[in-house]
Amino acid sequence: MTTPATPSGSTQSSVSIPVPVVLVDDHHLFRTGVRASLDDRVTVVGEAFDVDSAVAAVHEHRPPVVLLDVHLPGGNGGGGAEVVQRCADLLTEGVRFLALSVSDAAEDVVSVIRAGARGYVTKNIAPSDLSSAVVQVAGGDAVFSPRLAGFVLDAFGASANDIAVADDELDRLSKREQEVMRLIARGYSYREVAGELFISIKTVETHVSAVLRKLQLSSRYELTRWAVARRLL
Amino acid sequence: MFRGPAACDDRGVNQRLTLRRPGKAGPGYSGRWLAGVAAGLAAHTGLPVWVVRAVFVVLSVFAGAGVVAYVFWWVTVPAGVPTRPEDELPTERRRLAPRLTTDADADAGAQERHAASLADRVRLSGPVSRLAVRDIWVGVVLLSSAALLVAYRAGWDPVASWVLPALIGLGGVALAWSQIDATERDKWVGGGSGSLLRSRTALLRLAGGVVLTMLGVLMLVGQDTPVSVLAQATVASVAMVAGLVLVSVPWWIRLVRQLGDERAARAREAERADIAAHLHDSVLQTLALIRSQAHDPEAVSRMARAQERELRGWLYDDRREPGTSVAAELKDLVAEIEDAVAPLTVETVVVGDCPPTEETSALLQATREALLNAFKHGAPPVSVYLEVTDEVAEVFVRDRGDGFDLDEIAQDRFGVRESILGRVRRREGSAEVVSRPGWGTEVRLRMPVDRQGNGDKKTEKNGRSRAATPGTVPATVEGATR
Repeated sequence: MTTPATPSGSTQSSVSIPVPVVLVDDHHLFRTGVRASLDDRVTVVGEAFDVDSAVAAVHEHRPPVVLLDVHLPGGNGGGGAEVVQRCADLLTEGVRFLALSVSDAAEDVVSVIRAGARGYVTKNIAPSDLSSAVVQVAGGDAVFSPRLAGFVLDAFGASANDIAVADDELDRLSKREQEVMRLIARGYSYREVAGELFISIKTVETHVSAVLRKLQLSSRYELTRWAVARRLL
Repeated sequence: MFRGPAACDDRGVNQRLTLRRPGKAGPGYSGRWLAGVAAGLAAHTGLPVWVVRAVFVVLSVFAGAGVVAYVFWWVTVPAGVPTRPEDELPTERRRLAPRLTTDADADAGAQERHAASLADRVRLSGPVSRLAVRDIWVGVVLLSSAALLVAYRAGWDPVASWVLPALIGLGGVALAWSQIDATERDKWVGGGSGSLLRSRTALLRLAGGVVLTMLGVLMLVGQDTPVSVLAQATVASVAMVAGLVLVSVPWWIRLVRQLGDERAARAREAERADIAAHLHDSVLQTLALIRSQAHDPEAVSRMARAQERELRGWLYDDRREPGTSVAAELKDLVAEIEDAVAPLTVETVVVGDCPPTEETSALLQATREALLNAFKHGAPPVSVYLEVTDEVAEVFVRDRGDGFDLDEIAQDRFGVRESILGRVRRREGSAEVVSRPGWGTEVRLRMPVDRQGNGDKKTEKNGRSRAATPGTVPATVEGATR
């Protein structure tokens, strides 16, 4: 059961509720299930079932959030990551991707994040948590499930030797970022992380966004390896 | 017809096993003496091995016919497993397919597996290389004696001038032909760093064989010819061979390509069969069970969860050998508790890994108690986080119950105090329980792990090369005693 850090409330003010969403998944049954389980903070404006139809639907609706399955048929075989790449022109226009997958494999997670997704949740997420995650992504935040935080720590290293010396270092986490990731991996919500570290929720979100940026841009060996495994580079 | 025990297991009565020589270091290896021709023939025909060998020896007396037949089969019959039908998958591939790995993955992601196979490679390379040399000599001696035998029977003087060149030529041929086994052996020993070295020696052997054969032929043909003519003839013949090679290059390339394609197709087919078998064995059966027990939501959810876990493990996890991974043990433990306590699931996140030690098993015992407590007194969702670094292993078990005050727990209740905190503290770890109303409870366990020291201890105890943790190649590989 994935429990992503629940939204803070501080960013929700800028998000117009309900959030329009395009739902991309190749299983009709699953799309129906997700559509039924999303609460009234989210409204599904479009659906797609493969890479090409997803790219078309996203360009047509330009929703603030796309719920995207990682494994999709069609296109050039790149799955969800390919959808994000082919919609790269919309990323600057406020279209954000939230990856939704059954897969636990690191290369799946990392590939779609590196392609530009703003978060990753697993499909057995509680319905209310999924709606919260959508709102959160719409507000510009990154959604880190405990598992994604675990991957980050695995990839960037969890020991004290792996702490970045300089702030702009892409290949290592700062001490604070490492602490935040560790708490999220332990199942803490953003609010609980903030309370634990005596910082504001806004600061937690900043740290998480910074980690997401590093995850996308870093050339750390582990990350590039995972990306190569999915033919992303 | 009489059939050996190996040939008639539960397979069709009339189906004969494919003729294969047992490969070096593969299954059936112990049955071979020279190149495995006799053992292969025995399995193929169903005759006892000694009969086949006796026939070879007897035939050898008649102008070396046995030797010729042996060499003929050695050259033409590929190495394989004579006692197993061709269309069947090897046992190690029959059920669970190995994870799909790319080249990059093979480099680093599966270092754990590489570390394991490194031990095998080290173990194999010694005797195998010795055997190859021995085989060459046996071959040379056999061929020369056969040739001498023929010479004697023909009534020629063995010291006549053509015998030495013929022997040299035959030696060269034997040297080059010994490659047949070397290339087959690579399949069993596996590629990796060793294959580079092996291919170099293979090339050397081939070159040596060619030179020897050419020398022999030259000596044979040009006994009384002047040196200048001989040199001219040599140049001409070499040029001719080069021309032939050049002309046939496209053909060779096509052959190699076809071989590669066929291999890839076979691998794909095997993989597909694996997946189908797995889906049938587990997933379909579980679905059938779920359908038949649809009235019992608890049983359905439990079966679905167990099946999901199994399938996930099969699809995404690198299967580790038991007793080598704390992370795997933690996952087993969580699975066991999930099965026992029906309606709850645990979010498990693991960072890092190490081989189990006494310290980590105490840590996991405490984790187990903490999890049971979380289920009993807390509320879902329950999270478990395990982090293993070079110095320390930490476990956090978190639930979202109402929380409790540790001081209010009666002193005689052993649950938390003894089985969780005591267990860890006795082994120089530290443990604390944080509980706040409305926030839940978190058990924080911390155990120092001296990875190097414990790893060595473990190695000695098991006699296995497990000194290093997954992700690092062991610095020393000690004698594997299997």
